[in-house]
Amino acid sequence: MSTEQRTFLQPWHRLSHSQRGTLLAYIAVFVLFIVGGIYRPSFVYPNNIGQLLLLASFVGIVAAGQTFVILIGGIDLSVPWVLNAMAVLLTTTSLGMDSRAWWVVPLVLLVGLAIGIVNGLGIVLFEIPPVVMTLGMNGVMQGLVLGLTGGFTCSACNSVAPPSVQTVITGQLLGIPAGLLVWLLIAVLAGLVLGFTTLGRRIYALGNNAVAAYLAGVNVRLVTVIVYALGGLFASIAGIALTAFGQQATLGMGDPYLFDSIAAVVIGGTSILGGRGNYWGTIAGAIFLVVLRAVLQEYNISEAGRSIATGVVILVALLLYGREAREV
Amino acid sequence: MASIEGRDISKSFGGVRALRNASFSAEPGEVQALVGENGAGKSTMIKILSGLFRPDAGQTWVQGREVVLGDPQDAMRLGIGTVFQELTLLPYMTVAENLLMGREPRTLGFIDRAATASAAWKLLHEAGISGIEPLELVANLSLGQRQIVEVVKVISRHPKILFMDEPTSALAEREVEWLFGVIRKLREQGTCIVFTSHRWNEIKGIADRIMIFRNGENVGTYEATALSEQDAVEHMTGRKLDMLYPEPVTLPEKTPMLQVSNLSGAGLHEVSFSAYKGEVLGIGGLAGQGQRELLLTLFGVNRARSGTIEIEGKSVRIGNPREAIRRGMALLPEDRKTEGLLLPLPVRQNLTLPILGQLSRSGFIRRDCEASLIRTMIDRLTIRTPSIDQPVGALSGGNQQKVLIGRWLLTQARILLLYDVTRGVDVATKHEIYELIKHLSQEGRTILLYSTDTEEMAHVCHRVLVMREGRIVEEIAGPNIAPEAIVAAAIHVAAQVNVEVPR
Amino acid sequence: MSTTETKSDVERAQRTPADLRLHYYGAQNVPLLLSIGILVAMIMLYLILFVLAQRRLPGSFELSTTLNNTMSVGLAAVGQTLVVLTGGIDLSVGGIVDVTNSVAAQTMHDNPGSMLGITLLVLAIGAGAGLINGLLVTYGRLQPIIVTIATLAIWQGVALLVLPQQGGAIPPGFTNLLAGNIGIVPSSLVIFILLILLWQVLRRTRFLVTLYAIGNDERAARANGVPVNLAKIGAYTVGGLFSGAAGLYLAAVATSGDATSGTPLTLTSIAAVVLGGVSLFGGRGSAVGSLVGACILTLLLNVLFFAGINPQLQEFFQGLFLILAVVASTLVRRFLQSER
Repeated sequence: MSTEQRTFLQPWHRLSHSQRGTLLAYIAVFVLFIVGGIYRPSFVYPNNIGQLLLLASFVGIVAAGQTFVILIGGIDLSVPWVLNAMAVLLTTTSLGMDSRAWWVVPLVLLVGLAIGIVNGLGIVLFEIPPVVMTLGMNGVMQGLVLGLTGGFTCSACNSVAPPSVQTVITGQLLGIPAGLLVWLLIAVLAGLVLGFTTLGRRIYALGNNAVAAYLAGVNVRLVTVIVYALGGLFASIAGIALTAFGQQATLGMGDPYLFDSIAAVVIGGTSILGGRGNYWGTIAGAIFLVVLRAVLQEYNISEAGRSIATGVVILVALLLYGREAREV
Repeated sequence: MASIEGRDISKSFGGVRALRNASFSAEPGEVQALVGENGAGKSTMIKILSGLFRPDAGQTWVQGREVVLGDPQDAMRLGIGTVFQELTLLPYMTVAENLLMGREPRTLGFIDRAATASAAWKLLHEAGISGIEPLELVANLSLGQRQIVEVVKVISRHPKILFMDEPTSALAEREVEWLFGVIRKLREQGTCIVFTSHRWNEIKGIADRIMIFRNGENVGTYEATALSEQDAVEHMTGRKLDMLYPEPVTLPEKTPMLQVSNLSGAGLHEVSFSAYKGEVLGIGGLAGQGQRELLLTLFGVNRARSGTIEIEGKSVRIGNPREAIRRGMALLPEDRKTEGLLLPLPVRQNLTLPILGQLSRSGFIRRDCEASLIRTMIDRLTIRTPSIDQPVGALSGGNQQKVLIGRWLLTQARILLLYDVTRGVDVATKHEIYELIKHLSQEGRTILLYSTDTEEMAHVCHRVLVMREGRIVEEIAGPNIAPEAIVAAAIHVAAQVNVEVPR
Repeated sequence: MSTTETKSDVERAQRTPADLRLHYYGAQNVPLLLSIGILVAMIMLYLILFVLAQRRLPGSFELSTTLNNTMSVGLAAVGQTLVVLTGGIDLSVGGIVDVTNSVAAQTMHDNPGSMLGITLLVLAIGAGAGLINGLLVTYGRLQPIIVTIATLAIWQGVALLVLPQQGGAIPPGFTNLLAGNIGIVPSSLVIFILLILLWQVLRRTRFLVTLYAIGNDERAARANGVPVNLAKIGAYTVGGLFSGAAGLYLAAVATSGDATSGTPLTLTSIAAVVLGGVSLFGGRGSAVGSLVGACILTLLLNVLFFAGINPQLQEFFQGLFLILAVVASTLVRRFLQSER
């Protein structure tokens, strides 16, 4: 390799694996938009981009919680039904009334947070593997929703989200869907926490090596509970946002978000083992997933084909920047 | 013809040369001791000749033919057997399964579990060992028992060349005799045996020749009978013995800093002692006799069942490392790579992890404050790193250890618990660490030090407490502590296993 | 050896007394024994509730139905066990079941040749899918959880391509063979027993010993010279084979195909494995335990039914049960350790 080529590639080599992943994900999103635009120019009009980004924001919000959890080496399999439960809680408690919104929304957020705390406590106090604890919690939430709503036949079940809440997501501010601003706010907060706070440092330490973090004085139990609490909180926010977007809560509305949230985190360059990555990558991952599906739909690829394509794309992404180092 | 030779072997790890054009040669039917300070390259050479590492340069010759050892299996196929320092036993499988892995007796093509257990019993019996139950899980054995199982596993494959890296670190006196009896028998059979040790008496007792490594090079092979300890140490260090270690400064007065009374609990029995301000107190004994448990209990990782701990006269309860750190303690753990440092994270984050609380305002880290603290520490310890955001894993072993030490110095700890601080550290850094320890003790800090290198402990510590089976059995006071005294007190332990010394 | 010991003395000493062997077996298999204990408790609970509700003891019909309902989860759980023993996890189980049950329903005809041929085809598909997982994990050096999430999506898509609508048909002869009776004995019971026997055989192969070693400490396993890479790939491949078998069985019981009916089996197989005392960290556990876990899950549903619990609360109790079972095993383990 000539020296000229080497210096050209140098910035690339200076990036860590997860940083490369993030960069590639954003480049891929850009490429996807171009591909979509080729087929149908209106694909890249601001209107459509805004809608796609809004759809991506729902994945992105759930994936925010999942990012925190995966960063400490855990996983949250309870997002589908926590999301769904909080959505149902929102509509059936507020009954579509703005007058109630001011206390129902905080209540829903708090309940989501509490569920996350229970997840965390189960994991730290009883050494329940995260896979099992969150899997069980998912079932519990599913059962509660089905059971308490009589299979979604209750009278309140068809309520809508309060109009003010709907506006927060579907309204427009300077031509940008308001929901995107919510997402931006979350992104900024997540970035600040992970990059600039003591909590963020401790999360990365825990994710890298729980024993070493413990011996360095990190309160492993507290950080774990906080992180799972955030998982529950973000699932809750996503539940509210989705309900605001679709106006009503439906059964199974959370199901696609388990796969999508994990995929977004991984495509964005965060290691599934924890300790490496950040939320900006997850954002790219979420947008990528949503735009990929949209482009495939443009090209008339069936749901089956979209599913296959998504799986293949994840594998390609992993092979590019998700490989573990070979041993000396 | 030599059994095994390494010619011009070089190996570097992250910019530090562990071996530089080193040579190695051992004959059949002889016992060779490989000696040198921590960081001289002994373990690296053995790992390369066992196929675990690949050399950056150089060739390996076995029985007069050049070979390439791509992995441990290649070495095993050539008749090389190695007892590594890190045991290769599977903890949740039985002794029998471990001993016979890959060569279990079969019936009708399938593994016969009963036959495996009795074959294991037979192997142990033939080696002269009884008292280890083949059906027991390895995880339930003591460290000494595990070391014996690992040795039996390797020698039962009848290697023509046998490497052993510090095989006696956890063995009692009778067990060491057993091992040497086994070695003698193998020597008679023509096996070529190489082992490393820090204990001069052991080496003199069994080795035919002694090969000395210093700074990654082979500085000579000598007939064991012709080499005196002084000469050996001089070759090992390149200096006269009296210039090797900084003399510990005598304590001006004995003010107690740490007082432990009747501490009992996980692995400890009625441990009582005092440590003084400015004292370097050694915790010695065979590996696995409670030293690790003592340090972990003091640091709040293990819970004591009974007993008290007093710091500067005040009784304290330490329930976890966070509280220990708040009380001014610091722990440098056994394995810096898996228990101490966070290798993929930058130097910056590794250095300030315990003191984040002090460096932040309402949760946000004051990066400029942090950066200046870090720079001061890097200068003080001469840590070589291109930048403070360089991942710690890219630094050399010695610099990694310095980062770990730097982390704890930043906490301004008054009591430092050091577990084998110079293991795997290059020689130059090692001496810097000794100077640092002396400096810290002059500042009035208390240091509890455990080391596998008894020579080191003897010269760096004011006093050494020898532990046996979780108890303190002897106190050896300086100045002029003799390493043999530490070893003698240590190995006089009841063997954990019944051994028959082969005749 | 002293001169007064005779050869037979040594031989006798070599044979460990039976009660000593039993002691070690007990000490080393606490999770499995605990699972069996839970199973026994569930069986008793079921019997009590059944008798109260139906005023008779359950008969061979109940046994047959229960085992039939357990069998696909059980087969999937056996496959999952192999992967989990290496410290990995297989989330594509559901996808493989989706594909295989769709293919079977779509292509099987009512003649022995077709039944045998399609069975082999389906098992090959399962093994092939597992092989892909294994290669990606071992030589690709990718993490199992995310590899199998990706292949899950792929196989779910393929299943929809094979069978876009529920349909296809499994010949009644095949259904009878797998889910009916052989004489008076339910086929599923025969298969169950065969699986347990198969495990006893597998346990005594180098393959399984290597899997346990990998799960204990992969680095040490390599140093011991056992074929780590081959065994890992084998674990995923055979795991896929069992997932394929689970799909075949699911089709047989449902008598038709459904490209989405396999998806829940992913998480159910993991629940069965956990309830069976297999450690998710790898290196410990038995597929017999996973089969026990699968039975526990089915019996739990039966118990809920006969206790008159609102069927919509099924998942609630399943989830709660799973969590409590693990809490119980943690507490038991802590209790035993404090006794030491």
